[in-house]
Amino acid sequence: MVRRAIGTRRRCQLNAPPVSDVTAALAERVRHAHVTGTALRITGAGHWLDAGRPCRADASLPLAEHTGIVEYEPGDLTMTVRAGTPLDALRAVARGEGQWLPLDPFGHLGGTIGATIATASSGPLSAAFGTPRDHVLGCEFITGTGNVVRAGGRVVKNVAGFDLVRLVTGAWGTLGVLTEVSIRLRALPEIDRTLALETTAGEARRWLRASAYTPLAAEMISARLATDMGIGSRDTLLLRLGGNRALVHAAAESASALAGSRDVDTTVWDTLRTREPADAAVVRLSTSSSQVAALWDRVASIVERAGGHAHATLQRGIVRCMLPVQSDDAEEHARLRGIVGALLTLGSSVVERLPSSLWAKMVPPAASDALSIGVRRAFDPGHVLNPGILGELA
Amino acid sequence: MKPSPSAIPAACAIPGTPLSNASAGIDACVHCGFCLQACPTYITLEDENDSPRGRIVLMRALVDGSLPLDDADVRTHIDRCLGCRACETACPSGVPYGQLLEATRATLTRMTPNPFLARLVLFVFARQVLLRLAMLGGRITRATRLSWLLSRLPGRAGFAMAMLESTRSAMRRRHYTPTGDGARGSATLLTGCVMEGLFANTNRATERTLVANGYSVVETPQQRCCGALHAHAGDDDTARMLGRANVAAFEQSGADFIAVNAAGCGAMMKEYAHLLSDDPTWRARAAAVASRVRDVSELLAEAGPRSGGALDTTVTYDAPCHLLHAQRIASPPLRMLGAIPGLTVIPLDGSEHCCGSAGIYNLIEPDVSDRVLAPKLANIAATRASLVATGNPGCLMQIGAGLHQTGARCRAVHPVDLLDASYAAQAHAHRTP
Amino acid sequence: MPTDVAQHAAPDLASRLAALVGERRVLARPSELRSYESDGLPGYHARPALAVFPGTRDETIAVVRLLAELDAPFVARGAGTGLSGGALAEGSVLLGLHRLTRILSIDADDARAVVEPGVVNATLSRAAAAFGLHYAPDPSSQTACTIGGNVAENAGGPHCLKYGVTLNHVLAITVLLPSGEVVTLGSADGERDGYDLLGAFIGSEGCFGVALDVTVRLARAPQAVRTLLADFSSVNSAAHAVSSIIASGIIPAAMEMMDGPTIQAVEASIYAAGYPVDAAAILLIELDGAAAGIDDDAARVDAFCRDAGARGVRIAAAPAERARLWQGRKKAFGAMGRIAPNLVVQDAVVPRTKLPAILAEIQRIAELHRVLVCNVFHAGDGNLHPNIGYDATSADETERVHRAMAAIMQACIDAGGTITGEHGIGLDKLPYMDALFTPATLGAMCALREVFDPGRRSNPGKVVPVHSCREWFAAPSARAGGAS
Ligand SMILES: Cc1cc2nc3c(=O)[nH]c(=O)nc-3n(C[C@H](O)[C@H](O)[C@H](O)COP(=O)(O)OP(=O)(O)OC[C@H]3O[C@@H](n4cnc5c(N)ncnc54)[C@H](O)[C@@H]3O)c2cc1C
Ligand code: SF4
Ligand code: SF4
Repeated sequence: MVRRAIGTRRRCQLNAPPVSDVTAALAERVRHAHVTGTALRITGAGHWLDAGRPCRADASLPLAEHTGIVEYEPGDLTMTVRAGTPLDALRAVARGEGQWLPLDPFGHLGGTIGATIATASSGPLSAAFGTPRDHVLGCEFITGTGNVVRAGGRVVKNVAGFDLVRLVTGAWGTLGVLTEVSIRLRALPEIDRTLALETTAGEARRWLRASAYTPLAAEMISARLATDMGIGSRDTLLLRLGGNRALVHAAAESASALAGSRDVDTTVWDTLRTREPADAAVVRLSTSSSQVAALWDRVASIVERAGGHAHATLQRGIVRCMLPVQSDDAEEHARLRGIVGALLTLGSSVVERLPSSLWAKMVPPAASDALSIGVRRAFDPGHVLNPGILGELA
Repeated sequence: MKPSPSAIPAACAIPGTPLSNASAGIDACVHCGFCLQACPTYITLEDENDSPRGRIVLMRALVDGSLPLDDADVRTHIDRCLGCRACETACPSGVPYGQLLEATRATLTRMTPNPFLARLVLFVFARQVLLRLAMLGGRITRATRLSWLLSRLPGRAGFAMAMLESTRSAMRRRHYTPTGDGARGSATLLTGCVMEGLFANTNRATERTLVANGYSVVETPQQRCCGALHAHAGDDDTARMLGRANVAAFEQSGADFIAVNAAGCGAMMKEYAHLLSDDPTWRARAAAVASRVRDVSELLAEAGPRSGGALDTTVTYDAPCHLLHAQRIASPPLRMLGAIPGLTVIPLDGSEHCCGSAGIYNLIEPDVSDRVLAPKLANIAATRASLVATGNPGCLMQIGAGLHQTGARCRAVHPVDLLDASYAAQAHAHRTP
Repeated sequence: MPTDVAQHAAPDLASRLAALVGERRVLARPSELRSYESDGLPGYHARPALAVFPGTRDETIAVVRLLAELDAPFVARGAGTGLSGGALAEGSVLLGLHRLTRILSIDADDARAVVEPGVVNATLSRAAAAFGLHYAPDPSSQTACTIGGNVAENAGGPHCLKYGVTLNHVLAITVLLPSGEVVTLGSADGERDGYDLLGAFIGSEGCFGVALDVTVRLARAPQAVRTLLADFSSVNSAAHAVSSIIASGIIPAAMEMMDGPTIQAVEASIYAAGYPVDAAAILLIELDGAAAGIDDDAARVDAFCRDAGARGVRIAAAPAERARLWQGRKKAFGAMGRIAPNLVVQDAVVPRTKLPAILAEIQRIAELHRVLVCNVFHAGDGNLHPNIGYDATSADETERVHRAMAAIMQACIDAGGTITGEHGIGLDKLPYMDALFTPATLGAMCALREVFDPGRRSNPGKVVPVHSCREWFAAPSARAGGAS
């Protein structure tokens, strides 16, 4: 028997808002799918979910209509939105209050927040602000049996109960259909300035490591991509500096010691996000940050020679490689297979997009360990949510 | 297993014992654990029963009667406490651990006496004649180099001889006569049993450095052992007897300050009011005497201290627990070393940790004592210093013996001896320019 | 659920454990187990059946495998500084990890370290300091608590406002599952696709298994630091200052509030920091980063405080003075021991705009129940730590204290907050879980736990109320026999 000096014998009251009609309707659909064994493909705005990932679905469960801001209290720097809300719409609202969600995944600017979180997608800003797991405070999701779960909360710090939020973030919808998310916003920096510096990855990383400044983003851009974007003709470091005037000024001074620097418009970041063709093959290689320059040196040239381009989030040790897919024939697939195969040997890898015929051949299943299989079974026992999307069996 | 409310046992199971009187101090503990990493026995033995927090839990159990006074485990863990009071420095809640420990030991020894060896030592220290004889024996053993020979013996006997051997003066003595104007007031020295018995040179050095720094020095002939060993071991009757004798003696001396160069004795004397708190008149007299007690480093630091001649050597400083934790004196000894030109002071990692001496602890709990000493010796070795300064006889002997037995070249020395040597060097430099 | 190991495990369990770790490292006598009945939350006591202290990774694995074989429940324990009763091991085997204290590696170039779970938080920072690095999450208990315990509780601290909590600083963990199997979660060098099981494990309060080693990110020491001490004559105006600073976009490294009674307790302790004892509240605000521009931010923060009604703002830049200001804050909870013999502390979080209102409400509740609430907390995160000192020998006072606590919790939940920001649910906050989460959500948590620990042997009975698990795994037979 536990002896305690003080206790709570009086129960507190549950004070949760009721589940919305839309969520209830979606939950009903999932429950039905579970009972009937109908595999569902969850779709957001549908901009790039067809990334070649295998998914054996009988029907689709669209969330694009499920949009809108549920609650936004600027003073708290938190926002609760429905999962189908496009990132650009969210951005516009937050900007009105001098705030932003510093999350800039590659692809269409109108991708949905739900998909971004479900796929744990991030971009250059992750260097300073982290990935979706660092932004999401809470979420509502529907499990594969149609249960509506409300995990986490709306406050910036929360350790109540087991962390279902982190669990569904990046689970590609296989553990639950995200219907609502609460996210943490930041105030827009007083100054938001971007510099382009022609330098090598090694130099750039050395500067970053020794510097007293923490840039908002520091993205290495391969020569072809730099040319494409109109910011240079050689390997270029795009440096995004934020903060008060004195800080940004001093940081820019310090960076220009690295190489001749040129101010470029901040819209360059949106350009970068939307640069790649929707059907390109994309592979993300990663390593520890001390090895990233070496990885870059090996990878960038391979990718450029193959007609693609690369860019790297140096502090996170990630090199992202884009390879255009010229056609859908066997010869092109064989070429891709050769290049991608070579890339995959170079570091830890996450394949973002690949023609689906290659996917199964080249990408090992992601959630194949016993724990992952167990989690999947617990949350979606009937395998009705995006089955196969993680390369898993059954 | 739903948590259920329960009444905290309010009643005290052992009324009238020293421990029951101290239970307010036990209540101050909020079980936060901040003291754990400060505790040498916890670090060494890796069991919370050997930590301050754990021992307080055991004390509480004795008070509320959920463990009996003769519980063997309780006794073991209380016995293993060094009494170094590092936990007090770490405790945000102000738990008076040293007092709790003494009260616990006083309570427990009524049930189960201390081991024979401990009782023998305490018996001797409480009797002046026996004590002088014992110290004389020690000096003879040292002078005949018998201690050097026997220090190779394995076990405690060997270690005891190494301790004795280490009391040989580490500094070359050169005569000089200090001059001072006495403007800072008068001081009288607690000569101390071990200090006068085995470190008489250090006592003289103390007097000289005090004079050199503007204090006049007077004697207090009637003084006795301070009683710290007895209080720490739970023999509080003897401790009180000695305390009263000293209060009376130092009242007589009339000096402004009572200078102490043994940290353990100084800590005890500063707490005489607590020791004699059972009697209101004695309590007031003890408080008055205690308020005049200063560690020698405090008096010297107050005066600067005056800088001396150059000593071209390297030293590291180890803080005696009863100086740092019991008296909260951290920087004055370092200021003494800082007053010596040419001396390189190298910081000692873990200087705030006990060396394992702790009064007669190294005799009673040799194993633990050795294991506490080992990292201390390693840290000292890592400094590569020629000397390690520390202002307490127990520590000087414990560390000194460890260094001796491991064949290290480094020697332990009292900071006062260093300052004194610096003044001597200065005097001689003047003589032979 | 097995609650008494004695009924399940072999009677010779103690000797079999001793064969693995040595005689001295197994405690079985009640008098020896006494010290392990509580963690950092005073007032809770539960007697473990046994305590075992492995000294190496291999011993730990062997112990857990033996326990798995015998189907015996166990509770991992670090330093026992947790404030939710999480390390209490009623009738279970208490698995003390405090002897696993090796820092396995520090990699300065990649700024990360691999440590065993028993490494004390501050010890890691001290070791990393040689490379100009430190471990950023800094719970106030950092001089005592272990990295394993930090991972289990997803511990935060004052500086987590800017730098994030444990979750944001752990790259990988080698986990010893309750079954005895060893798995690696996360990845130290590069991303992997798949479920964020690392994220799920962090904050799982010892219910998902034992962290055997942890790879953490280390942070570089900032170039410049300014610590501001703002002094207010009302708690309300301090709360308003917090809101306006947060809204301004300046992200202080830390922003802590202490109210009058707390200040007085600290100033009476040996960690007296020189706080104004007549203030109704102080804010301790730290700015750090590059030297350029930091004084501009400091001036703005200063102005926000004065606009909100601060009587004065002091800016400390010298390391010694800053250290002293922080020392007082970090030891504040312990210093409360001076006020009353018993203490309860809560850990609720509210949206930051609700701070002024909730502090007023807490004051109202305190007056209603005639208790003294001290507030010392992470204001920048809205993470409250109301402390109530009391005398547990008085049944009446105890009752009032617990009513006040329940009322405060309900107020925080109603304000859109949560019941714990960093201390975890453990045992202490279990009764509030039903007020915070729907049955389906609690059921999902049980389901997740079941994946890691199918037998529910690892820290049984904590975090999620047992009844919600029964509901999720709604086997009719289980429902029928459901008494606890
Ligand atoms: C005065 C004081 C101030 C505090 N301030 C803060 C603060 O600012 N921020 C904060 O977040 N917390 C704070 N705490 C709470 C506490 O220090 C943290 O929760 C800490 O992380 C607990 O670490 P520990 O090693 O003491 O763990 P323990 O208390 O021993 O255990 C806590 C939980 O972790 C589990 N556990 C321990 N080790 C492991 C392991 N290796 N693998 C798996 N599970 C394990 C246990 O089973 C238990 O459930 C404070 C506590 C005190 C007493
Ligand atoms: S006095 Fe020293 S040995 Fe004893 S409990 Fe305190 S720190 Fe530990
Ligand atoms: S530091 Fe003080 S209050 Fe905390 S556990 Fe130790 S003795 Fe108790």
